[in-house]
Amino acid sequence: MPKTLSRWLPLALVTLAALGLRVRDLGARPMHADEANQAVKAGELLETGRYAFDPRDHHGPLLYYAALPVAWLRGQRSLPELDEVTVRLVPALAGTLSVLLLGLLASPLGRWPSLAAAAFLAASPPAAYYSRYFIQETLLAAAALAAFACGQAWWRTGRRAWAVAAGAALGLMQASKESAPLFALAGLAAFLAARPRRDPRAGGSLAGDGLAGAAAALGVAALFYSSFGANPSGLRDLVGAYGEISGRLRAGNTGHEKPWWYFLELFTWRRAGGITFEQAGFAALAAGGLLVALGEGAPLLRWAAAYSVAVLVALSATPYKTPWHAVDLVPGFALLAAGAVGALSRSRGGPWLAAAAALAVLAMLAFQTKRVTGAYAADPRNPYAYVHSSPDVLKFRGLAEAALRRSPGGVVRVVSEEYWPLPWYFRGLARVGYWSEPPASCDGALVIASAGLADAVRARLHGAYGEAYLGLRPGFVCVVFTPRP
Amino acid sequence: MKHALAPRIAAAALALAALASARAEDLVPLKVELPKPLFVGTPRPIKVSNLEPQQAAANRAPVMVPPGTVLLSRGKPVTASDSYPVIGELSYLTDGDKTGVEGSYVEFGPGVQWAQIDLGARCRLAAVAVWHFHAEARVYHAVVIQASDDPAFKTGVTTLFNNDDTNADGLGKGTDLAYVETYKGRVVDAKGTVARYVRLYSDGNTSDELNHYTEVEVYGQPVN
Repeated sequence: MPKTLSRWLPLALVTLAALGLRVRDLGARPMHADEANQAVKAGELLETGRYAFDPRDHHGPLLYYAALPVAWLRGQRSLPELDEVTVRLVPALAGTLSVLLLGLLASPLGRWPSLAAAAFLAASPPAAYYSRYFIQETLLAAAALAAFACGQAWWRTGRRAWAVAAGAALGLMQASKESAPLFALAGLAAFLAARPRRDPRAGGSLAGDGLAGAAAALGVAALFYSSFGANPSGLRDLVGAYGEISGRLRAGNTGHEKPWWYFLELFTWRRAGGITFEQAGFAALAAGGLLVALGEGAPLLRWAAAYSVAVLVALSATPYKTPWHAVDLVPGFALLAAGAVGALSRSRGGPWLAAAAALAVLAMLAFQTKRVTGAYAADPRNPYAYVHSSPDVLKFRGLAEAALRRSPGGVVRVVSEEYWPLPWYFRGLARVGYWSEPPASCDGALVIASAGLADAVRARLHGAYGEAYLGLRPGFVCVVFTPRP
Repeated sequence: MKHALAPRIAAAALALAALASARAEDLVPLKVELPKPLFVGTPRPIKVSNLEPQQAAANRAPVMVPPGTVLLSRGKPVTASDSYPVIGELSYLTDGDKTGVEGSYVEFGPGVQWAQIDLGARCRLAAVAVWHFHAEARVYHAVVIQASDDPAFKTGVTTLFNNDDTNADGLGKGTDLAYVETYKGRVVDAKGTVARYVRLYSDGNTSDELNHYTEVEVYGQPVN
């Protein structure tokens, strides 16, 4: 087998396996409220060509723009035509790219450890789960890996093109999510802690390359936040977003506050309602890699250790926590785990012990990934299905369509304190309105009310209505009022 | 005078008719401006143990049973459409534990599933009480409770409760009301039906597609 092929084929196969895990049955899981929210925004951009950064309730613009080429390739030009597969292909492809980038980044560890790192990321339950989720986290992680890999290539070669590429990737990070500076600074701090030696043959100018990279970063971020020049005030809003975020975090009452050990639990062992979700073997390998990094001192491992600790401490110290932040921890942990595999291969047991350990952990990760992305993808016990929509949401569209056919002039009223993801499922339907409080008249072809507002809505209905229950998500039940003939 | 009035009335009537006709032709569909959905942040996790009982449930009259009614189902064998429950054992349905914590309920797979209790002999049934998973506010869909002497439930089947308004179970549409699960369970009047077997159906719930039973209690008296 040619040397190039034997060198790249294993990584290509791991990347293909990652792609398979990420694109399988993309439309099966109901849309989370956040996915639906962002899919509707992407649909509006697709339809109108207009987007303006919203610093209050939305993250960066990259996610929406990234959906455009996927939609165009699938022949979709409007919000009603847009579907779950299209929007979820965006994080799926980004997540797959992350696997390839990590394999490249890890190459100084050696051929098999770098492959192990890529495989750990490919099979990682949180990484795979959120690669099938239309939110920003996987794009942020992919852009971060691109920045680190390009930065590594620049350090090794001194070529300015790599510095510009790294800068552009930093700009994409910022265009993904406002938390990008945390990961960029953690990466830089880890680089300073690792103190890698530079090849004296690497040329270039530190200042010049740094400026070029910074210009690329600012340029890319500005391009997206200004909606490619159509909304220059988006740049001002980006700055304002940090004030908004810090205000909310200071208030400490977002409803998403969790204990400091939340991410440690996610990466070790958790049992809920009779189902176990665990990554204990992977966590043990990563912990072993941390010890190796502190002892042996291979620069990349030292970098991975410093980066992982910095990010873990930052995320754990912040009261506001959501499980998709775990995606940001997986690459560093995967590198450390690969470092442990490498150390094992040099031990008395040798390559066989390393291979057995790696394969055992991969098998466990793959089993857990199948569990969290398959049968339990929307199950409330799944720690990654956070405040997730119930499968019942898939039933609303059919009821609304039937109601509007029966009553051509009627309207569908949604009266609820919360109603996402219903606007996604009702996309393209002409006569649907949304109220967070009951209007004076609640009559309609179909009336969907939260259980909390159902009594008030019932009092404002005229005529006879049948009642049924459908769930929006666990613990949030809606009453569906249908006029009797 | 009479003759002068008639033409005037006719003219007025004609004018009104013309006006009505014109108005009908001028009518256009009413366009109602409907409020659009507001974009909001990530929903917060809700920690609600139970909804307030619906008014109908709160006003539901207690089921009246004959004197001497006893619990027939405790410890009786249970079979089910899902022979290998994801969580728990079939025996949980009749073990007397209604707490609803982990270890007290059995979980069946998605879609329409049933559980069946063999009372061991023909009995005159007074009531069936069922607890699905009740640790959070949820409603189970397509709940049907039947009794029969045929363990295959092909002949001699009496339906005691049916809130399956879409015929998801394939047993016919029912008109009983859906209800929110609580620690009080749902007690159904069995109206003295004589049978050996009791079968309960469901088709997922408002939180997920799975089916759960914490406990089922069948009350009545042995026939002999």
